[in-house]
Amino acid sequence: MTSAPVLSFDLHARIEGFTLDCAAQAFPGVTALFGPSGSGKTTTLDCIAGIFRPDRGTIVLNGRTLFSSAERVHVSPERRRIGYVFQDGALFPHMTVSANIRYGLELAPGSRRRIDVDEVIRLLRLEPLLARPARQLSGGEQQRVALARALAASPEVLLLDEPMASLDAGLRGIVVAYLRRIRRDLGIPMLYVSHSITETLALADRALLMQGGRISAFDRPSRLLLERTAGFWHESGALENLLEGEVLDAGSTGAGRVGVGSATLFAPVGGRQKGERVMVSIGASEIILAIRRPEGLSARNVLAATLKNLDMDAGRAYAAVDIGTPLIAELTESAVADLKLVAGQQVFLVFKSSSVAVLDADVA
Amino acid sequence: MPSDLSIVLLTLKVSGAAMLVVVPAGLGLAWLLVRRRVPGRFWIEVLVSLPLALTPVVIGFALLSLLGRNSPVGRLAFDVLGRDIAFTWVAAAIASAVVAFPLSVRAFIVAFATVDRRVEIAARTLGAGPWRVFFTITLPLAYPGILAGVLLGFARALSEFGATIVVAGNIPGQTQTLSLAIFTRISAGNDSAAFGLIGVTVALAAASIAVHNYLLARATSLVRDRAAGSRR
Repeated sequence: MTSAPVLSFDLHARIEGFTLDCAAQAFPGVTALFGPSGSGKTTTLDCIAGIFRPDRGTIVLNGRTLFSSAERVHVSPERRRIGYVFQDGALFPHMTVSANIRYGLELAPGSRRRIDVDEVIRLLRLEPLLARPARQLSGGEQQRVALARALAASPEVLLLDEPMASLDAGLRGIVVAYLRRIRRDLGIPMLYVSHSITETLALADRALLMQGGRISAFDRPSRLLLERTAGFWHESGALENLLEGEVLDAGSTGAGRVGVGSATLFAPVGGRQKGERVMVSIGASEIILAIRRPEGLSARNVLAATLKNLDMDAGRAYAAVDIGTPLIAELTESAVADLKLVAGQQVFLVFKSSSVAVLDADVA
Repeated sequence: MPSDLSIVLLTLKVSGAAMLVVVPAGLGLAWLLVRRRVPGRFWIEVLVSLPLALTPVVIGFALLSLLGRNSPVGRLAFDVLGRDIAFTWVAAAIASAVVAFPLSVRAFIVAFATVDRRVEIAARTLGAGPWRVFFTITLPLAYPGILAGVLLGFARALSEFGATIVVAGNIPGQTQTLSLAIFTRISAGNDSAAFGLIGVTVALAAASIAVHNYLLARATSLVRDRAAGSRR
């Protein structure tokens, strides 16, 4: 939190009745720009990338002024050294995967190339796809190629606009794992737009909360998401908790235990070995909340937790709970009323081990 | 009477020269109309398409007024070149270009509009300037539709008659293209002499339209593939 900002921006724009009025900074690591749809997240990214020109403001990247209305500076997108990964990948359909990845690489002068493209290809497991035409790829493959293409140009910051919006749950876990690798191994700062709480929790070091064209908060994702009533969680669709963990033990039947932070989960670990890093995914609606420790259940997971926050919307309630790691549980408003749930109280979480999907963190 | 072959060659020269102007100008205009906010866009499109609805005789008359030695443009051309443009093969090429232009431009507009803007923007963020994006992304993706537009315009230029006869006359060996020669021979009651030229005309037109339709079918299937690819 103490390091210098990579990117600072202060943007003011009016677009067809909508007012964008936001200022923030992004630091090394992953900064999530989190908020409901229509809050101005994509417009903010478009301003930073130079695709959309704000009415007033400044954008500074590593000390370089990219935009300044006062100084009449507007650097064109191709000179900004900002990578952009779009929702749908936006690959060049008439080129192979390899030509897509090399496109930006060949335009970057040698002195600016900081990324080893072979390493990116290896990290994202793209070797088998290199000769394939881009238009023949599946959704998850397209996003991995888009990511590699953006990274190969050695950007100073990477913008990601809901790169997983069009992927199903299983693929999302895999792409999250790839993004975590990129964060760990390449050290390129990322600004990550999402309206998914779970993605934000799984990826971001810091989160900016955006509402109605303004950035209203900046904090650690767990604090921001657990302690502020966001009021738009229902927009995330089926909420899924994505957590990183480690296989603690694995039985011969494929049943085993995964350590997530200080908590231990019973989960189907398959043929994985003890000590393997994994991502686990738990659907928010799979989690049952109890106010007393339940006994005599067939469900294997019963965890003590603190209820941090409750968000009610259209008959549904979203409970942000803390088991040493933040989790979201989905229940009904009437259940909240019957149990007289209030923020701050001790609760117990119950879910079957089969509700925990175990995904590879280092996708092999 | 010039040989059939020289008439065909003259027609190809006139139509080819017309397309050399139509293609770059048409691509530029279509790109501006699709990708930039052009003031007065609506009226520009009306003006561009006007020759489609106008009788070519009127276009010929307008060109004659413009290129004749009494107009400033014609005067300037005469002073610079030392000769008139009206009633030369160049005038025939200009007439063909004007009638072919709307057909090509309309096809180019459709071709550019099918190119995903986000894909072009992605290329910009990867370090490509606007010209590089145009030549490496836009043009290759729009290419089947563009080629279809070129062929449609070329087919129209080949068959041009009304504007040509007014602004370029019907001078054998100089401005007498296929359609003018056929008209001349039929008017003289020399139907049998016209048959060869009619055969060439039909063959050229059929070939142009066939290739055009083939490319258009390919272009739409490419768009379908792309849409299907992004859904997967």
